[in-house]
Amino acid sequence: MLSIYNNTFKNEYTVIKHNYYQILLIIFMLAFAIQAKAVSVVSASPTAQLRTTVDAILDILRDKTLGVETRRDKIRTLVNQRFYFRAMSQRTLGRNWKKASTEQQNKFVTLFSDLLGKTYLGRIEAYTDERVEYLREKNKNPKRAVVYTQIVTKSADIPINYKLAKKGDQWLIYDVIIEEVSLISNYRSSYAEIIKKDGIDSLLEKIKEKLKTADAS
Amino acid sequence: MLQNHCMAEDAFATVNGSFVLLAKARPVEPVEEDFTEDEDELEVNDPFESVNRKIFAFNDATYFYVFKPVAKGYRAVVPEGGRLSVSNFFSNLLAPVRIVNSGLQLKGEDATNETMRLIINSTLGLAGLFDVARNDFKITIKKEDFGQTMGHYQVGNGPYIVIPFLGPSSIRDGIGLLIDGAYLDPLNYIYDDETGRYLFAKWVDIETTLSLDKDTYEAIKNDAIDPYLFLRNAYIQHRAGAVEN
Repeated sequence: MLSIYNNTFKNEYTVIKHNYYQILLIIFMLAFAIQAKAVSVVSASPTAQLRTTVDAILDILRDKTLGVETRRDKIRTLVNQRFYFRAMSQRTLGRNWKKASTEQQNKFVTLFSDLLGKTYLGRIEAYTDERVEYLREKNKNPKRAVVYTQIVTKSADIPINYKLAKKGDQWLIYDVIIEEVSLISNYRSSYAEIIKKDGIDSLLEKIKEKLKTADAS
Repeated sequence: MLQNHCMAEDAFATVNGSFVLLAKARPVEPVEEDFTEDEDELEVNDPFESVNRKIFAFNDATYFYVFKPVAKGYRAVVPEGGRLSVSNFFSNLLAPVRIVNSGLQLKGEDATNETMRLIINSTLGLAGLFDVARNDFKITIKKEDFGQTMGHYQVGNGPYIVIPFLGPSSIRDGIGLLIDGAYLDPLNYIYDDETGRYLFAKWVDIETTLSLDKDTYEAIKNDAIDPYLFLRNAYIQHRAGAVEN
């Protein structure tokens, strides 16, 4: 290859200069790509990252020495690190996301994150003493993955699948599918009906109300 | 020279091509990824919504005033192990539903597994009280019913319905329930002329399931703005998944 180039360079000076820079750039890019690849091999797989978070949450739930407040704070931090709340909000609102104002969008993300965090915790809390098995993972493309898990209880195995999206070097959860039921799709269809009937502000108000009563109970 | 020139041109083109490719492969953080159109809306055919909502409210009341209190009492009196065995017993009894429907869908492996489970659990599992097949032979249950069989052969849900006492269903799955109950449920043969005893057995089955459940319905009511819509969507998704597998 290079000898061919050299030949050409000798004969056509104008091309030489152009190609020379091109090659330098390519070498630079190659070096960069190889390095990027090496880094991505080192950074953890979707399953490994998910597992770290789920195990940490379960450890905190099982730790009876922690006070209620500390436990809640620790778990909230872990959940916030691993859940892609903005993506979840976008998926939930669907077409309505684009119709909403930036202020409404941000408000929805805040409220919905709270609600989702509570829902997920409420469910996982009920299974604190059960075993979680990580079955397999599927990469749809370099930025999307599904991790298949199941909770093994005394009476049955409950399949829970996590959909993850890559953001930077982190795999973040953007949907949880429990027994074939997608949490996001579930919220999406009922919220769409509420928005259609009463508008997005009314939905925001209703979520706020729901959070209050959930806190009280 | 001309030949060389041509080759250089070629190399240049590929080089240029790979240059573009490499540039694309760079991990560039997108401005903002768009997740809004990631999934299709799930449409549910619910022409009887107003009637369904009334039955839903009725079921909600019976759940909180009848079924749940009994389940709590049951929970307090019978230890978990005992209730698990009752649940296993009923589950084993309904094996014919799973075997026949697996067969009807030409799922040979599932039909064989369920038959094995029936044999193992009826003998080693002491008439189905213990799920030996799952615990010691690693053969897990795979639920199949006539609603799923119809779904397998492209029969759609039809309108969504809420059945009194039983909850979410569809026209298709309701018909499936009737057929399974009439022809494949051994209890129907055992208590052929004794409707009272048949219903009592079914009631024990339901209460056992509820006593082992971790308050799923309460959690849904706690989180959902409109529990009716939430459950409707969950039911349709769950059944779609069941038909697919």
